[in-house]
Amino acid sequence: MLRYTFFRLVQAAFVLLVMTFLLFMLIGMMPGDPVENMLEGNPALTPELARQMRELYGVGVPLPVRYWHWLTAAFQGDFGFSSLYFRPVLEILGPALLQTLKLMVATIMLSIPLSLLLGAIAALRPGGWMDTVISFFAFASISLPNFWLSLILIIVFAVQLGWLPASGTPLAETPSLGLQIYHSILPVTVLTMFFVGPLLRYVRASMIETMSSDYIRTARAKGLSETTVIVKHALRNALIPMVTVLALGFGMLFSGALVVETIFGILGMGKMIFDAIRYVDFNLALIGLLLATIVTLVSNLLADLAYAWLDPRITLK
Amino acid sequence: MNALVEVDNLNLHFPIDGGFFKEKLTLRALTDVSFSVEEDETLAIVGESGSGKTTLGYAISGLLTPTSGRIKFGAALGGHSQDRPVQLVFQDPFSALDPRMMVGDIVAEPLRLQGVSRAERLQQADDVLEQVGLPAESARRYPHEFSGGQRQRIAIARALIAKPKLIVADEPLSALDVSIQSQILNLLNKIKRDRTISYLFISHDLGVVHHLADRVVVLYLGRIMEIASRQDLFATPSHPYTQALLESVPRISRGRRKPGQALKGEIPTPLSPPPGCVFHTRCPRAQEVCRRQVPELLPAPGRPEQLSACHFKD
Amino acid sequence: MSAIDTELAGIPSAPRQTIWQLRRKRFLRNKPAVIALAILLVLSALCVLAYPYSLLMELDPNETNLLMRFRPPSAKHWLGTDSLGRDVLLRLMYGGQVSIAVGVLGTLLTALIGILIGVWAGFLGGKVDAFLMRLTDVVIALPMTPVLIVLGAVDLSKLGLSQALASSPGAVFLRIVIIIALVDWTTIARITRAATIEVRQREYVKAATVSGARHLYNVLVHVLPNITTPITVAATLSVGRIILFESTLSFLGFGIVPPTPSWGNMLTNAQELVISAPALAVYPGLLIFLTVISVNFVGDGIRIAFDPRSEK
Ligand SMILES: Nc1ncnc2c1ncn2[C@@H]1O[C@H](COP(=O)(O)OP(=O)(O)OP(=O)(O)O)[C@@H](O)[C@H]1O
Ligand code: SF4
Ligand SMILES: [Mg+2]
Repeated sequence: MLRYTFFRLVQAAFVLLVMTFLLFMLIGMMPGDPVENMLEGNPALTPELARQMRELYGVGVPLPVRYWHWLTAAFQGDFGFSSLYFRPVLEILGPALLQTLKLMVATIMLSIPLSLLLGAIAALRPGGWMDTVISFFAFASISLPNFWLSLILIIVFAVQLGWLPASGTPLAETPSLGLQIYHSILPVTVLTMFFVGPLLRYVRASMIETMSSDYIRTARAKGLSETTVIVKHALRNALIPMVTVLALGFGMLFSGALVVETIFGILGMGKMIFDAIRYVDFNLALIGLLLATIVTLVSNLLADLAYAWLDPRITLK
Repeated sequence: MNALVEVDNLNLHFPIDGGFFKEKLTLRALTDVSFSVEEDETLAIVGESGSGKTTLGYAISGLLTPTSGRIKFGAALGGHSQDRPVQLVFQDPFSALDPRMMVGDIVAEPLRLQGVSRAERLQQADDVLEQVGLPAESARRYPHEFSGGQRQRIAIARALIAKPKLIVADEPLSALDVSIQSQILNLLNKIKRDRTISYLFISHDLGVVHHLADRVVVLYLGRIMEIASRQDLFATPSHPYTQALLESVPRISRGRRKPGQALKGEIPTPLSPPPGCVFHTRCPRAQEVCRRQVPELLPAPGRPEQLSACHFKD
Repeated sequence: MSAIDTELAGIPSAPRQTIWQLRRKRFLRNKPAVIALAILLVLSALCVLAYPYSLLMELDPNETNLLMRFRPPSAKHWLGTDSLGRDVLLRLMYGGQVSIAVGVLGTLLTALIGILIGVWAGFLGGKVDAFLMRLTDVVIALPMTPVLIVLGAVDLSKLGLSQALASSPGAVFLRIVIIIALVDWTTIARITRAATIEVRQREYVKAATVSGARHLYNVLVHVLPNITTPITVAATLSVGRIILFESTLSFLGFGIVPPTPSWGNMLTNAQELVISAPALAVYPGLLIFLTVISVNFVGDGIRIAFDPRSEK
């Protein structure tokens, strides 16, 4: 197990290195001139320093060479300045990451009980009317464009009814927790709507499988009540592999967060990356994308490790 | 007699990936296997499940590459491994035929791979189908329209069309109903009468082997225990393992038989075969020497043609 | 000979129901799938009729008329006009052409990449397989939308294309199709690989190999025809996903660029419209939703109809 963990860690580190290169190349191909952008983005640069940097990075120096300079600087902890915010990128991305994680955690906390409940109800009587309705809901969840759902919710709840704010960020300097939650209701609803479909399909399928297994038949034969059987045995059995499904859904949720943050004006990672690319902030886009990749890589790594830990077939080997 | 195929000191190991949790292992499917298949003979390979019969058949037909040792094709086979005229007939007549191809195309496939024109090869396919007892219009049907026995005929037709010198038949009867088994057996015999062909007939049914084989190779855990003509093997089995195998088949066991020799215990894993004689964990005659020293495959006392790998052979 | 002759009686004289008839019957029994298919057909027909409709009503999808902004539905403009005075219905019809075309072409390209990689990995196994599957894992681990945006932002003229060519509608359309395929092939690759590994081990492949078949022959003649079912199912399901990708990208401004309409980019400025003309924010998204959910229901119907376990 330790060997496996180590192996996967080394692998993830390698993947990350490759990703830095690929993303560097891609971002280098965005419109505009990255060196120009870098210079613009650092107010501390005197014209003299700027000239030196031009020499160092060199306009016209091929991308791979620039990559090398960037990489060596990055290894010394220098991730560059944002040309959009005139601050070091890490200073901007730290709070943004926190913001996005809050959004995602809230979504996951809502999605798990909801998908377990709906999945279990659907699995009780496969093919019954409840199952049909819930299955339709799951299909809708994976078919809804989340930017449109956001707009519709804003139109209905913010514009027409006036119940909820259309902005995801409170105006107050130090908003209370209650205010934060109030402003998060619509964005979290959209993300949950988007995330719960795949989860509940998974719960339903694994519940149906467990319910027909010997293990559940034994529990029934012992005379346990149907509720006990479902909640204590079938649901719990379905819960273990759900860890991996959740972790794998992390990347998907991150993608969804980008759209939702953009529409609701939440200063999270997604919006940062989006703005950085739109306004050609080379450093911010690069580090933002790398952070996003790290987050998904780590969640995938955890999923694999959790799977190896939890799945009896593998641990038995 | 001319040797068609000579197998010389063949070893075939499968590297087993133990996952990230274990070291890499080696599964010894075949160890130091030497024998030959003569022209126009039926050589049976018998042994329990996992003894390496299929592996041996695949190695001879070129599907598996030996770890060491040689498989030499005699003059009759041109000695060239690329177009060795060997064909296979499999146990499962369902996965043996491509469900998306018409029977005519299935049977004609070996000719297609030789570059024969479609009209020409379909013509030949019709002929061969008739030879195996199927009407020519079968050619325009799909495999799922046929029963297991009929499919096995189609598979045999495909093997015959390229005019092979050797057919490796891997338990071609064991998936069929008993009544159909004898029909296929008759078909194989008829083919043998009509042309010069050798069979490497893999089976664990000693009754069938008794009916069909000229000579028999007995495999155990990837090693040859005994090679003998059918008469010798069934009348005077030399190796304790062969004797135990025959013991378990009452209707053909006759002659001298010591009581209490039926097989007991489990076959050891080929991942770590026992040292010395691989059979010693189950052998009623095993002595100290059996645990230490691998017995060589040598003639049985007074029967130079009957080879047996046992320190205490009969 | 007699034993052989008796067996001939068993040969079927007429072919039974073909597998396709069976599948069609099973699909047609699935009501949601049939309804979804009907919806898809109606929507596609509507989109195809965009040009005749524009001639009939003497409308132009891209001509702006600031005197005609935000008009309510009328005899000439059935769904009213947008912020630039253009006919909404006509733009929806043309937008649908783009979305559906991206969905279909994107799926074809996705399937092509996925099948190539999946068959290659599955058939050769070993190190090639390990490498390709790691690659697949990495692509799956990417945060899709951000990566798509970067790919959508790449300046094609930096790749050597002339400025005019890089910004032509054809290039923009192709770029969407290509970048979506670049991130979406993983599902089909995995499914193809699993199916290939299964077929590769079948004995008819071994028989062909013994007769001298090379890898290419086995792949083309035996493997591909026998793995069409799982690939078809996976491909149908990816049509919906790709339409969603395209609309999201276009909405964010990195996909189809105006004035060419697409359901996604018709919503780009809808944030500002939610007060003045909320209906304009409803239609395009509703059509995306309707199309994608229909495709998904049809895909599910195909999956069930093709699944041998669902027989009776
Ligand atoms: N591709 C492979 N990889 C790893 N091990 C294999 C492979 N093929 C066969 N083996 C192993 O090699 C040994 C011999 O297998 P083989 O199929 O040749 O036996 P067999 O005598 O044909 O058995 P059966 O009567 O069940 O068909 C078995 O232990 C089997 O598990
Ligand atoms: S060598 Fe020994 S163990 Fe092996 S078969 Fe002969 S008597 Fe038995
Ligand atoms: Mg076998």
